[in-house]
Amino acid sequence: MTTMPLFPIWFFQVLGSVAVLVFSLLSLRITRRLTARDPENALWLFLDWLTMGFVIFSISHAVSHFLQEIINYYGPSQSLWQLRRVFGGLDSIIYVVIAATTLFFHRIQRLYRRMEADHHHLEETSHEILALNREMEALVMERTMSEMALGMAHGIRNPLHVIGGFSHRLLRKTDPDDPTRAWLSTIAEEARRIEQMVSRFESLAQRKESFFNQEDLNSIVSTTLQLLRPELNAKNITLVTSFHPEPLVGRLNGHLLKVAISHLIRNAVEATRPRGKITVRTLVEKDYAVLTIQDTGKGMPPDVVDKVFVPFYTTKIGGTGLGMVFVRQIVDEHRGVITLDSKVGRGTTVTIRLPYRFAEKVELEEAPQTPPAAEAPPESSGGAV
Amino acid sequence: MTRWLTQILSGVFVLLLFSPRYALAQGWFEWGTQGSYVHQFAHLLFFAAMVFFIFAMRHEKLQRYRGFLYLIWGCAILAWWNLDSVAGHTLEWGLTNPVILGHGLSERLLMENTETWLYYITKIDHFALLIPAFYLYYRGLKVLAQESQSETP
Repeated sequence: MTTMPLFPIWFFQVLGSVAVLVFSLLSLRITRRLTARDPENALWLFLDWLTMGFVIFSISHAVSHFLQEIINYYGPSQSLWQLRRVFGGLDSIIYVVIAATTLFFHRIQRLYRRMEADHHHLEETSHEILALNREMEALVMERTMSEMALGMAHGIRNPLHVIGGFSHRLLRKTDPDDPTRAWLSTIAEEARRIEQMVSRFESLAQRKESFFNQEDLNSIVSTTLQLLRPELNAKNITLVTSFHPEPLVGRLNGHLLKVAISHLIRNAVEATRPRGKITVRTLVEKDYAVLTIQDTGKGMPPDVVDKVFVPFYTTKIGGTGLGMVFVRQIVDEHRGVITLDSKVGRGTTVTIRLPYRFAEKVELEEAPQTPPAAEAPPESSGGAV
Repeated sequence: MTRWLTQILSGVFVLLLFSPRYALAQGWFEWGTQGSYVHQFAHLLFFAAMVFFIFAMRHEKLQRYRGFLYLIWGCAILAWWNLDSVAGHTLEWGLTNPVILGHGLSERLLMENTETWLYYITKIDHFALLIPAFYLYYRGLKVLAQESQSETP
């Protein structure tokens, strides 16, 4: 009958045990270095735990099998048997520990992915907020500069009219041989030049429309609704729209208004149950273009409504509490008013009132184009230079 | 905390080692005892964990990275090792009076039947498989560490 040498078993046992111990210790050195470099990396932490399990395994497994071979070789010994059983038990436990650590990896991965997604979301939101902030700052700056320029032009033009008008009158009354006539002509001519400069400056300031353009509120709202249609459809929400029959053209910033309207619609979608209804209306009320967004959602209690525009106040998990603040700022920059009416269980209605053709101050556009001395004959206003 | 844990574990170890005989009257590695079942189930759990780990890495498409590919292969061999161990233990504990001839390093096992042959093969496998498995695991970690270092500015 065939016999096989037991030597290969011992050889692989010694070689295997030593190799496993060496590789697991080298692995532990790597994972230790990785966790020290990035202690919050979930993957490194998991691999470090797993490797620690492997190191304990390599020791207990080797000791357990060596004891077995010693017993086989030298014969049974009670204390060696007991020691072997202890290490055998430790072996079983360490398998369970390795398994538990590995199975936990899945959970860690999920948490890590969720954390990463939240992190990206926060980064995106902060970028959006930053971009919006910059736009708002630029808008406020331009508006202020534009108003200042128009105000200055208005302020300079009135005294200029007086100077120009009176210099022309004096010219008419001065004798042609009077030596002061040349001085008066120069005054009248220079006044006219300054007046032309102011006019050019004023028209330039009025024409600067990079932030506020002549836009139709109806088209801004309908474009925004088209973009948000998939979100409404996903929740099976009925959208009812009612637009003012005439275009509601005013000096508006389409981009900012779209941001504000989409935020309000998204809020309405979140608050509304599936198969609910959201109504969007535009109308004209005296001097205001009015936009209302009404939902049939859960509504808000009065104390929440009071805090809606308070920065960083939010009832949403993961919300920044800045959305409604920006919405109000956008409406404010359009010299508009936003109001909220909400009843718990019945829904919320947001109303935005934008001054119809609000843009520049009307009195500036209607500023007197003729000097108080308009009665001056054209030939004299031409002046002789 | 670590010191406290070490003291407790050492205490348990000493108690088990010097406990009266009846406390360990039932052998842990004799087929049919509770310990043998625990050990076999622990191997099966270890196997399941390795399969799950491979599945998780493949699900995340991590096999595209060389480091994870090594880990996958290391874990695959470990999974195989566990099945091999379950079979080996079953055969070992089932052997009735194996005949060993010779002395010392020249001891030889009498191959009486198929079970004895399978026992012999699985006994060699039991350690031979662990070498590539742990090498691949180590290699995977090394590559991952190198790649992560090169990514760090």
